[in-house]
Amino acid sequence: MSEVISLNIWQFSLIYLLLIVVLIIMKKCRINQTKLLFVASLRMTVQLVLAGLVLTYIFQNPRPLFTVLYLMVMTGFAIFIVLSRNKSINKQFKIIVGASLASTGLAIVCFFIMVVVGVSLFNPQYTIPISGMIIGNAMTGVGLGLRTFNESIKARRSRIDALLNIGATPRKILLPFVNQSLETALLPTLNSMIGMGIISLPGMMTGQILSGTLPMTAILYQIAIIIAICAVTCLAVFCSLYFGYKTLYNKRQQFINL
Amino acid sequence: MPLFSLKDVRFKEIIQYPYIEIPEGCATFISGGSGCGKSTLLKLLNGTVSADSGEILYAGKHIEAYNPVTLRREVLLCGQSVFLFDGSIQENFSEYYKYRDLSPLAQEDVHGYLKLCAALFPLGADCAAMSGGERQRVFAAICLSLRPKALLLDEPTSALDDNTANTVMTNIKTFCRENNITLIVVSHNKALAETFADHVIALGGGQYE
Repeated sequence: MSEVISLNIWQFSLIYLLLIVVLIIMKKCRINQTKLLFVASLRMTVQLVLAGLVLTYIFQNPRPLFTVLYLMVMTGFAIFIVLSRNKSINKQFKIIVGASLASTGLAIVCFFIMVVVGVSLFNPQYTIPISGMIIGNAMTGVGLGLRTFNESIKARRSRIDALLNIGATPRKILLPFVNQSLETALLPTLNSMIGMGIISLPGMMTGQILSGTLPMTAILYQIAIIIAICAVTCLAVFCSLYFGYKTLYNKRQQFINL
Repeated sequence: MPLFSLKDVRFKEIIQYPYIEIPEGCATFISGGSGCGKSTLLKLLNGTVSADSGEILYAGKHIEAYNPVTLRREVLLCGQSVFLFDGSIQENFSEYYKYRDLSPLAQEDVHGYLKLCAALFPLGADCAAMSGGERQRVFAAICLSLRPKALLLDEPTSALDDNTANTVMTNIKTFCRENNITLIVVSHNKALAETFADHVIALGGGQYE
């Protein structure tokens, strides 16, 4: 296998020319998002450069504290982003979502790194990229699940009221919403599994192959990470909603904060 | 002893109820202008909301002393917003019965309750394709079939023409009297109240004009 070719910075900068193509098309079609295109490209570049610098530093100084800190910051951001997109839920529900995301995410990361790969959790070369994929996907899943849950509850208020009025328990009324939202959150992951390897070579595998890993090793990692993503999405959404829906009614079985 | 009595009941600083007694076994109508707390009164009676102060007694006992779900099954509220599942009438009956942990009703019985509510449609009829008035009657039939001790109806005839409204109310009132079900109705329809009320409670000074 050939060594990976380091990108020459001048050759690399040619890739930004493609953004000019996007800009021209946007102008032509009168899409008023040129500012967003600019800000998004800039943020993406700056954030990735910063991440590159931080990772370089951590890899050169592989102290457990750095890895733990990185994990905590990443988990914290994931929770923050999910909650800022679902502002309408009550405080207790928010705590449950945060705890679910953190605990299921970290549990799956530990299992993956320590059991499946079999290295120390404090090894930044494995822990940082893999936890990024796992927690990032958990975040997307919980965000989607929560939004579906909130929207469907708001849209079916008359169903909820009618059932409560005739003496159904809040648990029985809300569980179908929990189940349906979990399904919605899981579907993108399941659907992407179907096309994998035929329509697309997934990102992590592509990266590994580019950097010279044998394809058969790369696919083993890819299979493992996809299963981990599926599991973490399922667990994080399940815990968030299954413990969270109980904050929507009181001891008198009346709906609150709905 | 009255079935319900309310003393000094306040709800969310806006609604304040006078002393109210609701007798057992007859038809009580509640009148009053909009926003005076008619629908809220029904919700207070079946415990889907709680009063902020004052006391509500049901059968002589404080309402908070009852298990809230058991109370709602005895004091059943057929609310203003009608909800039916997508599917046939038969499926709607069985869905609602599932939510109440009951085994499904026999077809003849479903038929009987539909007849009481002037909703004699085929059991396989699709509820999604029905008009507002038809849905209201099917919903009332489901509530009636659950045979509570007290049936609370919130604007039960709002989507019905006068003739149908009269037929439905006559049947429901007769059924309730025969089965000793206390009927409590919120309705802005003065003629309906005059015909069917054994007892009228006027809220917020509002009377049927």
